[in-house]
Formats: sequence, C-alpha cells, structure tokens
Amino acid sequence: MMKGLLKAFVAAMFALGAALPASATDWPTGPITMLIGYKAGGGTDTKGRVLAKILTRELGQQVNVINRPGGGQAVALEGFKNEEPNGDMFFFGAVSGITLNPQINSALQFRADDYVYAGGLTEFQVTMVAPADAPFDDMAGFVAYAKEKGKIKYASLSPGAKIIMQAIARQSGLEVDYIPTKGGRGMVQLVLSGQVDFAYSGGIHARYPGKFKTIAATSTRRLGNYPDTETLNEAGYEGVAIDAPTVVAFPKGVDPAIVAKMEAALKVASTDPDMIKISKSINMPIVYQTAAEASELVEESAAAIRVMLDTIGYKAS
Amino acid sequence: MESFLPVLESAFAPGNLAWILFGVTLGYLVGALPGLGKGTATAVAIPLTFYLSPLAAIAFLVGIAKGSTAGSAVSAILLNTPGEPSSTPTAMAGYPLARAGKAQKALKMGLFASVIGDLFSTIVLILVAQELAEYALGIGPVELTGILAFSLVFIAGLSGRSMIKGLIAGLFGILVSCIGLEVETGSPRLTFGLIEVYDGLPLIPVAIGMLALSEMMIQIGQRQRLQEEADLLRGSGIREDRVVTLGDWRRSARAILRGCLIGTGVGILPGLGASVGSFLSYGAERRASGRGADFEETGAIEGVAAAESADNAVVPASFVPLFAIGIPGSVIAAILIGAFTIQGITPGPLLFLENRDLILGVYMSMIAASLFLLLIGYFGQNVFARIVRVSPALVMPIVVFLCCLGAYLQGGGAFGIGVMVVFGVIGFFAKKYDFSFVTFLIGFVIGPSFELSLRQTLGLVTDVSELLDHPVALVFGALAVFGVWRLTVLQRRQREAIVGD
Repeated sequence: MMKGLLKAFVAAMFALGAALPASATDWPTGPITMLIGYKAGGGTDTKGRVLAKILTRELGQQVNVINRPGGGQAVALEGFKNEEPNGDMFFFGAVSGITLNPQINSALQFRADDYVYAGGLTEFQVTMVAPADAPFDDMAGFVAYAKEKGKIKYASLSPGAKIIMQAIARQSGLEVDYIPTKGGRGMVQLVLSGQVDFAYSGGIHARYPGKFKTIAATSTRRLGNYPDTETLNEAGYEGVAIDAPTVVAFPKGVDPAIVAKMEAALKVASTDPDMIKISKSINMPIVYQTAAEASELVEESAAAIRVMLDTIGYKAS
Repeated sequence: MESFLPVLESAFAPGNLAWILFGVTLGYLVGALPGLGKGTATAVAIPLTFYLSPLAAIAFLVGIAKGSTAGSAVSAILLNTPGEPSSTPTAMAGYPLARAGKAQKALKMGLFASVIGDLFSTIVLILVAQELAEYALGIGPVELTGILAFSLVFIAGLSGRSMIKGLIAGLFGILVSCIGLEVETGSPRLTFGLIEVYDGLPLIPVAIGMLALSEMMIQIGQRQRLQEEADLLRGSGIREDRVVTLGDWRRSARAILRGCLIGTGVGILPGLGASVGSFLSYGAERRASGRGADFEETGAIEGVAAAESADNAVVPASFVPLFAIGIPGSVIAAILIGAFTIQGITPGPLLFLENRDLILGVYMSMIAASLFLLLIGYFGQNVFARIVRVSPALVMPIVVFLCCLGAYLQGGGAFGIGVMVVFGVIGFFAKKYDFSFVTFLIGFVIGPSFELSLRQTLGLVTDVSELLDHPVALVFGALAVFGVWRLTVLQRRQREAIVGD
C-alpha cells in the first residue's frame, strides 16, 4: 500500500516536472550548439569559435561548435531547417548561403524565411581582384583591358562568383574562360602563379599584401576595409551584387525571448577584445546588426539576387 | 647565433615540451584506433589550442599530427584496419607478418621507418622551406594533372592479378567520387536528392567500410580458423621475430631512403595528399623487390618500411608550401591554417619576416616531436601488442564498434554509418571476386583533385602548343602513357607464359 502510494507520488512529480516548460528567459538551460556550414579552419569557422567562447561566457552555458560543410553552407542549412526551434541549435554563417543557394538549386527545400535572424556580427570583404601587376585599377580599366586582350581567364571559386562574372561579361560584352577552383586558396594559387587575369575573392587576398589589387566590391555598399574601392553598382553594373555579412539564425518558431537574449549577447561580442583581435587578423571587420536590421538585410539581399539571376537568364539546376 | 638562444629556450621550455609530449601521445593513441586518423585527431584538438601561446599551440598540433600518422600503423599491422587511407599499404604488407607471428617486428620496423621519414622530412623543411616554395608555386593545374594521371596509372599497376579488374575498380572509384556538387556551377551530380552527399561521399566512412568492415565480415565467417591463427599471432617466442634484425635493416634501408624522398616530394607538392606518397613508395619497393603478389601473401618488412617512411615524410614536407606561400600540402596543413589564424598569424610570404622566432621555435619543436615519437611509440607498442593476445571473438565487436564511431564522427552522424555499411558490403564482394579495393580507394581519393585540375587545364590551355610551356606536365603525361603500355605488355607476357604451360 505504502509502496503503491510512493509510486503514484513519484509518477505525479515526474508528470508535473515534464508539464512545466522551462521558461524561455531561463534559456539556455543546457549546452547549446553553434552550427557552421564550412569546414573547420576557415574564416567563418575561426570567427565562429571565438564567438562561441564569448557566448559561453555571456549565456552562462557551454556553446559547442559543429561543422557541417558542403554545398556552400547548403548542407548545414537544409538540415537546420528541420531542427526543433527550442534554441538548442543556432546557425552562424554568411547570408549569401541563405539567399543565393535556394535560388540556384531547385533541389533545396529551405528558403530565407525558414529562419529567424538574431543579428549580424561581421562582413566578408568580397571583392573582384586582379594580380598586383595588372595594368588596370578599376572596372572601366579592366573592361578596356579585357576587350583588347580578346578573352580573359577568370578564377571562379563558387557558383556565386561565376554568376557575378557572367553578369559583368554580359553587360560589357566580354569573353571569359571560367577556371573553376576549390576555395579561396586555390584562387590565390592561380593568381599568384599568374595563370588568371581576374578573380573573385571572399576576402582571403588581404593575407597576401602586395600581391593583389582590389578592383571592385561585390556588395551593395562600400566595404569597411576598402572604403576607396568602388562597388559594382557604382561602376555601372546595376543590381550586380551579393552581400555577405555573417548572421546568427534560429529555426522559425523559436521563442522571441531567446532571439532577444542572443541579440544582446551578440552586441556584447561585437565589442569584445578577443573578437576585435580576431577580426583584425582575418580581415573581417565587425559590422554589428540588430535582429531587425539583419532580417531586413536578408530580405533585401534575396530580392536583389532574384533580379540579378533574371537579368542574366539563369536557370536553376 | 645570439638571437637563436631565446628561441631554443622557448622551444625547449618544460611547458612547451609537455604540450608536444601530450600531443604526440594523444595522436599516437587516436591514430592507433581503427578509422581514426590524423585529420580527426588534429581537427578535434583545435579548440584546445585557443588557450595556448602560439608556439605551444602549433607544437601541440604538430605533435598530434606526427603521433597519429605513425600510430595508424599499429591498427594497420595488428588488425588489418588502417587508421587512415594512407596506411593501407602498411596493412597490406604488415598484417601478413603479424599473422606469421612477427607482429612486434613489423610494428618496430614501422615505427623506426616512421621516425626516420619524419625526421628526414623535417630537416628538409627546415633547410629549404623558403627556397622550395618558390618552385612549388610553379606547379599549377597543368602540372598537377600530369602528376595525378601518372599516379593513377602507377597505382593501377599495383592492383593485383588482373589489370582489367584493377582499372574497373579504379574507374568505379572515380565514378563514386563524382557524387556531389559539380565544382564549377554547383549543380548536383548523382546525388539522387540526398542533401548529405552534396560535398561528396565522406571519405573516412567509405574507407572504413571498404577496408575494415568488409574485412570483419570476412573474418567473422572464418572465426574458427581465426581462433587458431590468433594463437599464431601471439608470436613464435623466437627473439628474431620480435626485434628488427640487422638483416631486416639491410633489406629495408633502400625502401626507407626511397620512402623519405617520395614522401617529402609528395608533401611539398600541394594537393597530392599522403595516400599518394605511401602508395607510390610501397609500389616502387614492391616492384624493385621482384616479389610481386608474394608481398601481400607472406608480408614484407621492407613494404612496411617503404609505406611508413613515406607516409610520415609527407606531413612535415607539406608545411613547406604552407609556411612559405600559405597553401597547404595536406589535410593537416589545411587544419593548421585555422590554428595559425586563431593565433593571429598569417601563413604566407611574410611569415619568415614577421614571425621568424615563432617559425624557428616550431622547427625546434618538430624535432623534439620526432624524438618523443620514438619514445612513445617504442613503449606504447608493448601496450598495443597486447591486443593480439585477445580472442578474435572479443576483438571483432570492438573493431566494428570503433568503425562505427569513426564513421559517425567523420561522416556527418548516422549517415556516415550507413555509407560505411554500404561500402562494407561492396568491399566484401570486391575481396571475394578479387577486385582491388585499393585501386578503388585511390580512384575515389584522387578523383576530385584530378577532375578539378583537368578542368582548370582545359580552361587555361586554349591551344595544344601552349602545353610546351609546361615541361613538367609533359614528362609526367608521357610517363603515364608509357606506364600503361608497359603494364599491358607485362600482362600479355604473363598470360602467354601461363598459356604456354
């Protein structure tokens, strides 16, 4: 009899415990995971690991990093869409993976509005570059050079890089050989060994001072590290831009209190000395954005890419 | 010389030495587990290094890399399950030795060859890093295409009794490597709607499945016989079978020297990868010995020496392009870039100017790591050799469990285990019907780099006459064609000889 009562009591306590949801303001109640869509060791990963360390301190719980590389962050994002929106996992990465991928690959299920954005932290310094000894300094000079040469060789490190160049070539009537490369380092090798005339750089070229020239920024606004470099829009290529700030995202349906707490932690991270140090050394300036600003930017960027793809007549594969 | 003393002091400070020792030990342990190799070991350790000084962080990671490269020979020899693809030849020549009761001898020779290869390559790195890097930059896509084509042919020649079957396996490997996003436009290829394979099938689960799991399937079917063999594995009790004799040294000296040179060369060229080094060295020794398939049937101490010396020589040499031009020559070097950046240091042309002391410190630490490796390996082997005293009925489930663990960690979770099982079954039938799983793996590993460099070449070389500007590529291309012709002739002669009987 006593035993039966005790059993019932224990069962009732368990039921009560399970029924009481942990309040969202208590979040995080256990270790949480940062999802990165690139391999360990790259710029995003390096920065992500520093951010994870700061967030561990700010949120009071261990923030673990997992890398799920592939398809320009597509592999990570596709799986992330189906994660429970309970705050246990968040995504840190470049917006371009969210805005560009689903528009050029019809097999992907995720869309930019499958996620909720808690804010932005940094910005890839994406530019069009040329070897330091190239006989031109801006887009007009480049076009003149390319026309004189007849056909130029372009190191294309991603589908996005190819689309940008296709848009430029289409508007200016250039002939281009697209040399595919894997990642920024493959691009650097092609440029340093003088095998290509022009290239797209996610920012890695800054690590090779004196070897590269920045010709144009591929963002809608001028970049923090290159205030004197024109954007493609300014050079007359209207609508040719892919913005690549890094954002923190949760799956749709997450408690707004969790988003707000993350937003505040990101603001602290944006002034953290470790973050400032790492941003300097990998050449990704800190560009803090609130949750609202980041969401707006994602929406604008996705729309801009749609227009650009329409212009060059791109067909999603 | 005066400015050198503080560097020595910091490199040999007790704290730094302790991190190197810890790194080598950890690496050796992880490497010795089937399916877990240097890539896993180093990547997992990166977060640990954030709290260390730049020198200690890099020395620690280099220690792990060196330890795990050498450690993977342990599971290759004792369990026929290489820690990573580059130790496959070690398993091919070493496992038969272990079954003949010479496990300890093979393990020791593997360790000595590893340390010699590693030390040789480290010295080359120290002496010529800056100068060689300039040449390495000249090895562009066109040259790489030639070198890779040559490597593929050379390795197909290893493939066992039938070259046709070897080629089928190799081409199947290349076909499987085509799975994933196509490199230029990013359109999915052979993915069948599976998002997990967008970056290609994960290498480690495929390798573990083909090598280890399929082997386990075969062995489970022969458990009775294996129990009897396990008694053999305990060693013959003869001292000669436990130590490396002078005769063994004499037989292996040439293999080790060649392995050092091949491994160092492969490491310096960006993008070839450790597997090419150990396979080339092993193949060269197998050919030079004139023993043919006997190498894998009875085992060969010089085969172990050839594979291990080259495998370990790749690692330090792959830092040459990393330190001097910032381009990694191996997976380890690529991971180290992350470690450097975390510390705010940019590998590349300015490294020797801005961080000279750090680089010198790293060199000193690398030499210390080589010596620790000898120490840890020598005493660690006594512990690992006990594995062979355990009944196969106990070992097999543990190996299968470790296989699953490695596939899970490296293959994106449960998906990796699925991939491993599928390739375990393919490997099982490949072994039953004598299709070389080694050629398959090499095709699979080299496939993506070969495709990329070939496609880059097609874009870069717009006219055939431009090929004349790439003599290195032409030489390797000619060697590849010659290799195919030579292999065909050899095989025809063999067949005629059989018919003639």
